[in-house]
Amino acid sequence: MDSLVAQYTRPAEQQEGYFDEDQLELSQGSPQLSLKFALPPVANSSAWLRAMTDDYSNPNCPIKIAHGTTTLAFRFKGGIIVATDSRATAGNWIASQTVKKVIEINSCLLGTMAGGAADCQYWLAYLGMQCRLHELRHKRRISVAAASKILANLVYNYKGMGLSMGTMCAGVTPQEGPALYYIDSDGTRLAGNLFCVGSGQTFAYGVLDAEYSYDLSDEDALELGKRSILAATHRDAFSGGFINLYHVKEDGWVKHGFNDTNPIFWKTKLEKGEFSNVTSELV
Amino acid sequence: MVGKDCVAIACDLRLGLQALTVSNNFPKIFSYGDVYLGLTGLATDVSTVADLFRYKVNMYRLREERQISPQTMANLVSSSLYERRFGPYFVSPVIAGINHTTGKPFICGFDSIGCIDFAKDFIVSGTASDQLFGTCEGLWEPDLGPEDLFETVSQALLNAVDRDALSGWGAHVYIIEKDKVTKRLLKGRQD
Amino acid sequence: MEVLLGLTGKDFTLVASSKAAMRGVTILKATDDKTRELNKYNLMAFSGEAGDTVQFAEYVQANVQLYSMRNNSELGPAAVASFVRGELAKALRSRSPYTVNLLLGGFDPITQKPTLYWCDYLASLAQLPYAAHGYAQYYCLSTLDKHHHPDIDLEKGLKILRMCSDELKRRLPIDFKGLAVKIITKDGIREEDWVDDKQVLPA
Repeated sequence: MDSLVAQYTRPAEQQEGYFDEDQLELSQGSPQLSLKFALPPVANSSAWLRAMTDDYSNPNCPIKIAHGTTTLAFRFKGGIIVATDSRATAGNWIASQTVKKVIEINSCLLGTMAGGAADCQYWLAYLGMQCRLHELRHKRRISVAAASKILANLVYNYKGMGLSMGTMCAGVTPQEGPALYYIDSDGTRLAGNLFCVGSGQTFAYGVLDAEYSYDLSDEDALELGKRSILAATHRDAFSGGFINLYHVKEDGWVKHGFNDTNPIFWKTKLEKGEFSNVTSELV
Repeated sequence: MVGKDCVAIACDLRLGLQALTVSNNFPKIFSYGDVYLGLTGLATDVSTVADLFRYKVNMYRLREERQISPQTMANLVSSSLYERRFGPYFVSPVIAGINHTTGKPFICGFDSIGCIDFAKDFIVSGTASDQLFGTCEGLWEPDLGPEDLFETVSQALLNAVDRDALSGWGAHVYIIEKDKVTKRLLKGRQD
Repeated sequence: MEVLLGLTGKDFTLVASSKAAMRGVTILKATDDKTRELNKYNLMAFSGEAGDTVQFAEYVQANVQLYSMRNNSELGPAAVASFVRGELAKALRSRSPYTVNLLLGGFDPITQKPTLYWCDYLASLAQLPYAAHGYAQYYCLSTLDKHHHPDIDLEKGLKILRMCSDELKRRLPIDFKGLAVKIITKDGIREEDWVDDKQVLPA
């Protein structure tokens, strides 16, 4: 009854020029869980959005969305390694070199972001909220399988509307052990041992596949994750900045630094003799 | 970039196809006696144009029995590029040098069909040119000596390419004085 | 999905090319050789538009050999690379450009140094310690960045090539029917017996 009344009566402040629906949302005490997004007032909104934002097919598009990434995660006997670069580009412009592409959903769950920066940030934060609600409702922590499925179902609802994300969910739970899932905005959801996502994925795969084994030691696994990202930042123009490194273990994740690639690169080159294509002396 | 009785010219070292870096040792500055030519743009045309001017400048030197001056070189570049008005080379050249008759520094830039852009301070070109305009406007001042000019031009270039995804991966810097040219390698970021 | 790979070592250059000849969705031949010997010390590997590739390679091969007959001297790797780039650049601005990507593997008999030139269909030329064309660039350059060193011997070179080939077999969605591997040393060009029957799957 109250909602019916609210719908047809107007509070005094309503005359100030807000739209009805906006006012309704603002006057409600807590934010609602059913999500509503404003759509552009045109006939085919997803096609319109694509035309405005896809700088691959139209380099002069008016809205440039931050893109370009290398992220990787792999399972091994000591848990899961998650590593990312930190560059955000809008076209050829480097918008930031210090993006945090690993999102700490809770103390045992990590998400990585590739694709639209805002899409990933928003939906992984939303996933974090849903995971917490699950915990409160069921009095136990959500499984990685369930968390990844929430995200996969969610983005699938928006399929064809222009969401762009390639993400990985890594976590450890008592019932599943270390688990790794790949989810993208097409609606794909895959469990696996090893994934690389983003424009630099192939370069990361090149280094990672060659030396990956499930029986890697913790130290070797961290080094391999770091080296794979370094390889991708070197060859892929849209990856770079800092290497963000995480290790997910039985009792939660541990952060292993957010380190500039530049000193790491020159150390790798000069001490190990790798990257022999780069000149370090004038001939 | 112009200093007091000296000029500087610098380039990055990347050769790439879109996002992929193919080579990290592809200098874009070529020397023609006393004149230095920087070429940005389509890699194939960078090589073609550099070779074309090597031929033309060598012929000039043999005919005239003297080195080409920066001003003459500028006009040669301009007219050669305009010859391709309806099928241009996709390059935007930059010239730097010291005129040995007057002793004055000279720089200029071009668009891809040969319009000369004379400047007293600095010329920029390439994918990071927007960023270079910013760093050069901020760092350049008149009458810099060779060492200060080296520092200025290096900082301007490195900081500009660090904000451009498509350039960087090291740099070459030439400091040209009346009777001396110094070439240095900058170890830039490799990402 | 044509694969071209090349790498130089202490005293050799390796050039590898995929053996599949593809037209549309069909593999026409599984023992194709995408290389031509230009002279004793220069080998050219090519990929790109069907027809253009072999036409261009054989045109270059004939002209390099003609030069040697006329002038009684062999062209070195740098001269060959420069000539090839010139021809490709000339064709680029003609009515019928060649759409051909090239790797020029060579051994300089004067300096006794191995060389490798990378050249794409736009005639961008670069001398590199290791190079690739097509999708192989995306998967193998990072592997080569890590494992290559200018002083490696042939055994290590072949080991690195094996890593690259395994990675391609692991990640490329279409079978390229393995690699044909050629080695250029001070003794000239020879083909390596490249056994390639192991299946490689992603982790």
